Amino acid sequence: MKDIFRVRRMWRPRGELKRRYDVVIVGAGSHGLSTAYYLAKNHGITDVAVLDKSYIGSGAAGRNTTIIRANYRTPQGAEFYSASVKLYEGLAADLDFNLLFSQQGHLTLAHSDRGIITANERAEVNRLLGIDSRVIYPDEIAKLCPEMNLSEEVTWPVMAALYHPPGGIIRHDAVVWGYARGADRGGVEIHPYTEVTGIERSNGRVRGVQTTRGDIECDTVISCTAGWSTLVADLADVPLPITTHILQAFVTEPVKPFLDVIIVSSQMHIYVSQTDRGEFLIGAEIEPYTTYKGIGTFPFLEYSAKHTLELFPQLERAKILRSWTGLCDLSPDYSPILGVTEVDGFLVSCGWGTYGFKAAPIVGTTLAELVATKQTPPLIAPFALERFYKDELVSELAAAAVSH
Amino acid sequence: MFSRSFKYHRPRGLLCCSGSCPNCMMTVDGTPNVRVCAEPVREGADLTPQNVLGSLEHDLLAVTDKIGGPFTPVGFYYRTMIRPRRAWPLYEKFLRNAAGLGRIDPHAERSDRYDTEHRHAEVLVVGGGTAGREAAGRYAADGKHVVLVEENPYLEIDEGDFEVLRGRALGIWEGGLVPVDAGNVLYRYRTEQIVVATGAIEQPLVFPGNDLVGVMLPEAVRRLVDDWAIRPGERAVVVTVDENGREAAARLKGIGVEIGGVYDLRRERIREIVARGRKGVLRSVELDGRRIDCDLLVMSGGRQPAYSLLAQAGARVEYVPESGAFLPTEIPEGIEAVGSVAGEGLSAAIPAATYNGASGKGKCFVCVCEDVTDKDLKRAIAEGFDSLELAKRYTTVTMGPCQGRLCHVPSIRVYARENESDPGTIGTTTARPPWGPVTLGVLAGRPHEPAQRSSIHHRHKELGGRMMWTGTWRRPHSYGDVEAEVQAVHGAVGLIDVSTLGKLLVVGPEAADFLERLYPNRFGDMKAGRIRYGVLNTDAGRIMDDGTIARLSDDAYYVTTTSTGAGAVVEWFEWWNAVWGLDVQIADITGALAAVNVAGPRARELMTRLTDLDVSNEAISYLDARQGKIAGVPSLVLRIGFVGELGYELHFPSPYGEFVWDTILERGEDLGIRPFGLEPQRILRLEKMHILVGQDTDSESNLIEANMPWIVKFDKDDFVGKWALEHVRARGPREQLVGFEMEDGRMPPEGGQVVIKERRPVGRITSARWSPELRKVIGMAWVPTELARDGAEFFVTIDGGFDKAHVRLTPFFDPEGERLRS
Repeated sequence: MKDIFRVRRMWRPRGELKRRYDVVIVGAGSHGLSTAYYLAKNHGITDVAVLDKSYIGSGAAGRNTTIIRANYRTPQGAEFYSASVKLYEGLAADLDFNLLFSQQGHLTLAHSDRGIITANERAEVNRLLGIDSRVIYPDEIAKLCPEMNLSEEVTWPVMAALYHPPGGIIRHDAVVWGYARGADRGGVEIHPYTEVTGIERSNGRVRGVQTTRGDIECDTVISCTAGWSTLVADLADVPLPITTHILQAFVTEPVKPFLDVIIVSSQMHIYVSQTDRGEFLIGAEIEPYTTYKGIGTFPFLEYSAKHTLELFPQLERAKILRSWTGLCDLSPDYSPILGVTEVDGFLVSCGWGTYGFKAAPIVGTTLAELVATKQTPPLIAPFALERFYKDELVSELAAAAVSH
Repeated sequence: MFSRSFKYHRPRGLLCCSGSCPNCMMTVDGTPNVRVCAEPVREGADLTPQNVLGSLEHDLLAVTDKIGGPFTPVGFYYRTMIRPRRAWPLYEKFLRNAAGLGRIDPHAERSDRYDTEHRHAEVLVVGGGTAGREAAGRYAADGKHVVLVEENPYLEIDEGDFEVLRGRALGIWEGGLVPVDAGNVLYRYRTEQIVVATGAIEQPLVFPGNDLVGVMLPEAVRRLVDDWAIRPGERAVVVTVDENGREAAARLKGIGVEIGGVYDLRRERIREIVARGRKGVLRSVELDGRRIDCDLLVMSGGRQPAYSLLAQAGARVEYVPESGAFLPTEIPEGIEAVGSVAGEGLSAAIPAATYNGASGKGKCFVCVCEDVTDKDLKRAIAEGFDSLELAKRYTTVTMGPCQGRLCHVPSIRVYARENESDPGTIGTTTARPPWGPVTLGVLAGRPHEPAQRSSIHHRHKELGGRMMWTGTWRRPHSYGDVEAEVQAVHGAVGLIDVSTLGKLLVVGPEAADFLERLYPNRFGDMKAGRIRYGVLNTDAGRIMDDGTIARLSDDAYYVTTTSTGAGAVVEWFEWWNAVWGLDVQIADITGALAAVNVAGPRARELMTRLTDLDVSNEAISYLDARQGKIAGVPSLVLRIGFVGELGYELHFPSPYGEFVWDTILERGEDLGIRPFGLEPQRILRLEKMHILVGQDTDSESNLIEANMPWIVKFDKDDFVGKWALEHVRARGPREQLVGFEMEDGRMPPEGGQVVIKERRPVGRITSARWSPELRKVIGMAWVPTELARDGAEFFVTIDGGFDKAHVRLTPFFDPEGERLRS
């Protein structure tokens, strides 16, 4: 409270780069900063530099649609994201920064028999693991979201929904800033506008990185670069089974809030929520083609509007204010790739597709533990890069025709 | 007064009067956030002020303006309401109630009709000002077909040699697509040349009280006086950094408004401007402490080219110190910028160094949409949000309804001053489409989601069929009595409409080779007139779709797919045909043919009444395909048995759908024929453990683990997914698709989880049904390989509890397939 009357810097101004750090983190987004934060906080590792080619939170961390949830299909995924949601619930207090986490509940709509089976499957897996999820039907959906079109006389009627009460939306930039402030106060250096151009190795292990502001020696490099992860891994000659696609979203002008639950429809390829500012925030599925060019398409606005109005006809005269795109790094099984690679000291957090932001706290915690103990924590073991060589995929694909 | 502001609920009056700022936003006939200054008047229109608790004059939430300041600095919500955690939902509820501008009726239905039109022109000019009209005229004189788009409904444009379209260009997207929002029609323009003549936008000055009702930009004065013959005030003061302010003064003088003074900040050494008012309405202005009474204050902070369309199209933006504005450069090919958007005629608009913008007490608004003050920005910088993009996200400056039109440049100026640098080094934020707000209705066009119906659809309804959706198809779930329909198939004969199956003709000298490469089993050695079951695999060896393949002749195959997978299979076939370049033609005839399945022990007897074909078991045995007439209609007869009884699948031209359907029912009446729906079919196929792709399999299922290794011919040279399946064979199956029956007869949910001892899922139920024939609950499930043996036990989750199930590896019904082959 006292902080509202006095002006206090969130983080130190960017200083000179040192010639050596123990750990270099590439990417000052939610994953990079949270890893830095937990390295300092949980393990006392503070000789850490977080580098970013742009401003902090300039990539996926500042472009996602801010949905937090744990209702995944695979036991591995559900346990992992459940740990993340728990951390998110305590994060504002931990960082002493209000992240405006609104756990308003999350509905994944089923418009077909197949959709209901997937919803059942996720509910059953979740229930076994102690995650609050259940399948509800139109009478109960109507109570949670009376504004939605529940008519049976449409092409994709709402037949059921997976209801996940702890699901919510959060202020994504605040997560980035909170972690940045925490990491900075913990002693970590943050270097925006510092692009990594090379990764030095010898005898199969990392020795340092080259940047646009000079070379750095280090023992560990952690790449948290989402849409650019394959480009950064290329610098270490680590091939990743990842393709990069754009994902688009838009907001409407603010109107008085009436939607107090997050709606996701894989059939309609949209997800809809209303922010605390009153804007409707609507996102789509990733575009099928691969690109690093963050340019949106007009057809996205058209089909998203069309599908939104199928569910919410009253938004017919709501106006789109702005749209934007972000890059998504998609793995073959729609699960992340986390931890060690064949190059000693080169760790990755990638393959997040459209659900990386919701994992930020647990990624930071587990990667920091991995760096400190040199042991892969059991929670992230299933997500090792190695799984693609062993054909031990963790398939979220079946549950994720649309990924939020 | 038109509205109350977003955060502090301060009264707001006309500022730009040209559709940019948020000040005149009202709810008109249920549409929120309408800029009424640019909305043509309609008789009987219902106007409601927004963001007001109480009335517009006495807004109860205006208290936030009085007390809110010190307690609600920028980003206050990030620093407060953190503890106790359980209190946050209450705070949030309060914040949500205070949020938003206009109100949408949550129960409104879609009412307007919208259309989309695709159009072409040789030249599209955006903006009907002087430069736009000149450019349009120039191209028209060259004989080009020119369309000029203008968003101001009142701007008079002579329609000479070019077409004038009233609407708003929403952006320039890839391929030169320019969508134009023209009310209820969206025109999607594609042109050879785009001319951007969007002009420049007047910028406000930042000083205490700059948002009072009565403080306006010169363009507002011009429109009020010239367009509407409205006197904007009685006594006016002008502060300006360019010629626009002077012109406004002259215009006001011309209609007899008293001028209290014209102050040109480029020359006059004024340090401090403070506007004062009562109840939010301007009363006077103080210039360096000298008070001048006035009810109109015209401020002009220079003009900023409206470059957004160009930036979206790929142009760069550069600061030009001489004019104090950002100008577009490196304009992409095919696009041209003319007039003030290109910097033409922009006078130097830099105030003298003494004027430092905001000063003194009172709120100086940088952004009227979001109520962001200069203090907020300075505080953000002091806190470390030192790049413009960060400050934008922290203070929300430029994120409101005007999208930076009136606040982008002022915020950059504040930034430059605070960082003691020039605006050029501060840079700009990304210009994000659309250029102006556009309704979802216009973008969506007509409400239209395609649905598919078979040619026999109406018969199903007449017979009392309970219709259900399967993909985009409407199909009968049943005709009222699922059990009786199942019994009819087992005991007599049943009839089901399977027209929804995907149907492909694969024809050509290399058709056999093509299918050999696509499917893991063999089709080259098949005799004409035979049928084989086929499963398509992805490159990763995952099951994609299944169906039957009948060889019609040496170089022609008839391929069926699942109902919902047809589209993807057609694309898959065409993709690989393009990759391999074989001599093969593929025709999708899904819609051209109807199909029904006649199944049951008396099916053969019924067939003899329908056709001249010899339907004896010797002439058409199991997995034979024949062509002949059914009820006089040329048909393809496939002897297959998805439902586990003797059966004939008949494919024929879809216009005969109802005729053939009727004839079969009529001639089978005395045999006890019943039509059966999808639900009975699902029970019947489950009794046979026939899989449903997409239900019993998912994106990771492969043929070996789905218990169909016999279908994979590893000795073939190659087929799609071979390497992956070889890998699975080498590592051995980890889980398997098996049948199961419930011990105590409770029904598990499809999607239920398989557990052994611990409460951890090790498998999942994919299908479960009550079988009236077997009198028990049966199903299919993925289980770990060690459970894939007859009689093995596992538990299934039901309603939070666990029920015991027993594994079955062979079909529940007719395991030897004797009835199929009979």
